Amino acid sequence: MSERETFWFVILALASGSFLLRSLPFWLHGRTPAPRWLERLLRHVPAAALTALVVPASLYTKSNGAYEVAPARIVAAVAALLVAARTRNVIWTLVTGMTVLWVAQGVLGTLGL
Amino acid sequence: MSRTTSSLIAGAQTVAPIIVGIIPFGLVAGAAVTSAGMGLIEAVGMSLLVNAGASQIAATALFAEDAPLFVVVGTALVINARMFIYSTSIAPVLVPEAGRWRALLGHPLIDQSYAVTMTKGRYREDIRVVPYYVGSWLVLALVWQLSNIAGALGGAFVPAEWSLDFAVPLVFLTMLMPALKFRADAEAAIATALSAAILVPLLPMQTGLIAAIVIGMVWGALRHHEHPAVEVDA
Repeated sequence: MSERETFWFVILALASGSFLLRSLPFWLHGRTPAPRWLERLLRHVPAAALTALVVPASLYTKSNGAYEVAPARIVAAVAALLVAARTRNVIWTLVTGMTVLWVAQGVLGTLGL
Repeated sequence: MSRTTSSLIAGAQTVAPIIVGIIPFGLVAGAAVTSAGMGLIEAVGMSLLVNAGASQIAATALFAEDAPLFVVVGTALVINARMFIYSTSIAPVLVPEAGRWRALLGHPLIDQSYAVTMTKGRYREDIRVVPYYVGSWLVLALVWQLSNIAGALGGAFVPAEWSLDFAVPLVFLTMLMPALKFRADAEAAIATALSAAILVPLLPMQTGLIAAIVIGMVWGALRHHEHPAVEVDA
C-alpha cells in the first residue's frame, strides 16, 4: 500500500469502529432487557462526563504529549465556575473565563512563572 | 417554519458559543493531516467519516510517527470509547422519536450534541428532540470542516498563546451546572473531578478520561441509592 492508501485505510477503520461504538446502544435499545442497575448507573453520566471534559482542561496544558500544571487555567476556571454557578449564562462564563485567563497568563508571564 | 426546522435551529443556537473554541482544534487537525504528507481530500474525508476531533488528531499524529497501524487505529478508538457510554445514556431520549431513523442516530453523537440534548433539549416542550440533537451537531460539524480546510491550506495560524481552546471546557462548565440538580449528581461530579485530575495525566491514550467517568457513574449510583431524590441548590 502507498502512504496515501494506508492513510485511507486508517480513516475507514477508525470511521467504522467509531460508528459501531456510537450506534450499537441505539440499535439495541428496547430490544435487549435494561436492568435496573444499568438505569441507575446511566442516570449520572451527564454530570460525570461533563466534569471529565472540564477538569483536565482546566488544570493542565499539554505540550508534546506531556501534561503540565497550568496555574493561569486553574485561576480562570475557578472564576468561571463561580460565574457559571451564579448566572448559568454561557456568554458571561466565556467572557469571565477567557479574560481572567489572559490576565493571569500576562501576570504570571511578567513574574517569570 | 416547520417544527423540524425550528428544532434544528434551536439545537444549532444552543451550541453556537462553542464555535470559537473548536476553531483552534479544527485548524490543528487540518494542519496535522497535511504535515503528515496528505492532502485536502484526506482532511475533508477524515472529518466527514470519523467525525470525532480528538481521535482524528491522535490518529494523524501517530500515523505521521510511523506507529504500527493497530496502534494508530486502536488508540483513536479507545479515545472514542466514551461515545459508547453517551449512546447508552442518550438512547432512551432519542430512540422513541427516531423511528426507522434510529440506525443513523449514532453518527451525530459528539460531546456537544450529547451534552446539550441531555441537559437542555430533552426538557424543552417546544421542540422535537431528534432534529434538535442533529442541529447541534450540524453547525459544529460544519465549523469543524471549514477550520480543517483552513488548517490544511494555511496551517494552524491561530497562535497557541491565545488559548482559544479554553473556550471548550468553559462551555461544558456552563452545561454542567443544570446537570447537578441532585445531591448524587454533585457527588458523582466530585468523584469524577478527583479521578480525572489524577488519572488523566497518568494513564495512556485518554483512558484516564473513561476511568474517571465510570468512577463518577458508579459513585453516583451508590449514593443515589442512599439519597434517592435529595436536591441541592447549586
